[in-house]
Amino acid sequence: LSVQDGLATDFRALTKILYDLNKALGSNIVRGGPLKELVIENFDEEQIWQQLELQNNAVLDFFKKSIARDAKDEDLCLLSDQEEDGSDAETSSDQELEDSIMEAEAEQKNIYTQDKTKAKEKQSKFRESIMQKYSDEDSDIDFDIEALEQQTKTTKETTLKKMGKKSIVDDKFFKLSEMETFLEHAEKENREEEEDINYFEDIISDDEEEESEEAKVKPVKSSRDLTYKDFFDPVDDNDDLVANGVEDDQEEEADSAIEEQNEESMSEVEDMNEMMMENMRSKEASKKVTFSLPDDSETEDVTDVQLEKGIDPSEIKSSFEKRQEKMSKKIKSLEEELLEEKPWQLKGEVTGQKRPENSLLEETVLFDHAVRMAPVITEETTFQLEDIIKQRILDEAWDDVVPKEKPKEEAFEYKKRITLDHEKSKLSLAEIYEQEYMKLHQQKTEEEENPEHKEIQEMMDSLFLKLDALCNFHFTPKPPVPEVKIVSNLPAISMEEVAPVAVSDAALLAPEEIKEKNKAGDVKTDAEKTPTDKKRDRRKKKLRKRMKQREKEKRQKLLEKMKPEQGTKLSKKAAAAKLKRLTKEGKASLLKDEGKDKVLKSSQAFFSQLQDQVKMQIKDANKLKKKQKQQKTLSVHKLKL
Amino acid sequence: VAKGEMRKVAVPANRYTPLKENWMKIFTPVVEHLQLQIRFNLKTRNVEIKTCQETKDLSALTKAADFVKAFILGFQVEDALALIRLDDLFLESFEVTDVKPLKGDHLSRAIGRIAGKGGKTKFTIENVTRTRIVLADAKIHILGSFQNIKMARTAICNLILGNPPSKVYGNIRAVASRAAERF
Repeated sequence: LSVQDGLATDFRALTKILYDLNKALGSNIVRGGPLKELVIENFDEEQIWQQLELQNNAVLDFFKKSIARDAKDEDLCLLSDQEEDGSDAETSSDQELEDSIMEAEAEQKNIYTQDKTKAKEKQSKFRESIMQKYSDEDSDIDFDIEALEQQTKTTKETTLKKMGKKSIVDDKFFKLSEMETFLEHAEKENREEEEDINYFEDIISDDEEEESEEAKVKPVKSSRDLTYKDFFDPVDDNDDLVANGVEDDQEEEADSAIEEQNEESMSEVEDMNEMMMENMRSKEASKKVTFSLPDDSETEDVTDVQLEKGIDPSEIKSSFEKRQEKMSKKIKSLEEELLEEKPWQLKGEVTGQKRPENSLLEETVLFDHAVRMAPVITEETTFQLEDIIKQRILDEAWDDVVPKEKPKEEAFEYKKRITLDHEKSKLSLAEIYEQEYMKLHQQKTEEEENPEHKEIQEMMDSLFLKLDALCNFHFTPKPPVPEVKIVSNLPAISMEEVAPVAVSDAALLAPEEIKEKNKAGDVKTDAEKTPTDKKRDRRKKKLRKRMKQREKEKRQKLLEKMKPEQGTKLSKKAAAAKLKRLTKEGKASLLKDEGKDKVLKSSQAFFSQLQDQVKMQIKDANKLKKKQKQQKTLSVHKLKL
Repeated sequence: VAKGEMRKVAVPANRYTPLKENWMKIFTPVVEHLQLQIRFNLKTRNVEIKTCQETKDLSALTKAADFVKAFILGFQVEDALALIRLDDLFLESFEVTDVKPLKGDHLSRAIGRIAGKGGKTKFTIENVTRTRIVLADAKIHILGSFQNIKMARTAICNLILGNPPSKVYGNIRAVASRAAERF
């Protein structure tokens, strides 16, 4: 897509021409925009658009007002399209416009007769063509039409909405105003039957023309030739058209608006306008007249009905018949539904593949919640809570944490648990059981004792104790219980309070407690010591040594018992003693290394020593040999003799 | 009491002398408290107990018989006396070999385990469970209330089976404390 510059300039020029023409022909009635001509030289697209917008907005406002006014006016009646068309066939350009208008109209009518989508497509095509800026004149014109369409759509929306009078009884299927109008018409019918026939005849041609998509010149209709259809919509139509939407209305409105617009631009007689308006309005009004029955058929049915009506003008179907028709249709549709394939919602277990994408999002799915849902906090719940809180505060019923108490075991119980008497019990079995029995029964009596008596007893005891202390003749104080307190040798300051009154550097333990004091008192040097002191020291030393020796022996004995090898290995003395023993017995011989005492300084010394050693060895060996020889000779000698 | 009922309790030879020594202590409560007639038949070597007209309670006869029987088994008189005074005391006997088939040294060791050094273990069990135990070679007699007999029996069985005494002490202590807590 690219801007075709040549075409664009042509297009702009044409737009300007059209605008100027419009302004030139502009009637006094329609109040347009302030600009008298469209300026395009050196102007951006946006700017040109805005100029057009100015004009169009003003025109739109005027139309809105006029339509609103005319809509309220009930005397107006609608003319057929043909009349207007006839009047339009004056100027050539108008004719072109007309043609396109016809096309547009036809498009609009098509919406009634055929699918809306098609027409919309065509409409959208038009718009697309505009966007692409074809230099086609038709498209040019269409462009304007489309723009006008869009503009007028909104206006007509509002007007149509104002048309319907709402009452309390109204709902989707029933409108009171429609009923009233229908009744009025019915009365009219009864009075003037002949005219009805005429009306119907005319309508046939109308319908036929509507069905065809070609743009034809329609026969002119005078006010006398107005038919039933001009006044009233067929019954089935009504709701559909009204309910389904503003779209239809829009298109219709647009359609009529286009007609109006064009007429004005052609500078036509006002009457035509009015007629058009009437026509338009009666059409709209006609919608309201018929009964709105439930389950209205679609537009196609509407056309069918129209056709049927067109074909059999003599038959006026009663409301019962109509209802019957509707019922049969309903039954038919239901039957079709049943025969058809069920929608996926009713098919039981449906996997993701079997249903359309994201279809579950549109469904409200019910499933069981395994977890309890969180409570919804509403105003009421908060009020309730607050009430509870207030009541609690008044009652002073707090939910305080109860401090856990460690169960303290009584010493008695503890003792009872622990002590196991390994001796023969001094009491016989009978006595034991007796005691138990007494205990059981005594407990009861103890409880009966008066607590006041107990108090008195205690007070008396304490008093007597104090009195005894004062007169200390026969007073024996209680033996002091040796209190065991673990004192660590920290400086006193650390054990006391954080902010002590008097700061003290002293440690908790006395110096004597740290190091034992000498019995004599001071520590003396050797020179100061008296002989008794010296002797004392010696005795102490000996004692200590003795104890040490004893300990050692004990350990050694134990070791020997347990691990005999290890015991002997460890002590050097024991090893020496053993060696001595062995050598004495003759089981081992000590090797003396006398020669190796000297330090060998020279190689000569070394070799001489070596020589000596060898010599010694030989000597010994010879000695042995000699000894053996000697023994041998003796024997031989003896034998000889 | 229409007819005079009689019970006989045989006396083994080893219990003959103790019976003689404690005879006073035996027959006094039987005669005075239970209003029964008691005698020791020298020929049959039985202690015979008989009801008489003064007897008010028929169950007294069984009580007296049990009392004498307990003494004969080896219990002290004072301990056996509890049988008369309390209704719910029982006497249970079983053998070491019932628990586990032991022979020779093993059997002796088991008995030794039950007794402990100087009877220590036995006394401990007695004290904790409030029962009286008589250990006659391979036979064990327990005197006490039903629950206590059970406790003592469990302890003795554990000892026979081979548990060390310390462990048995722990167990019986725990059980006894729990039993005591309940009451």
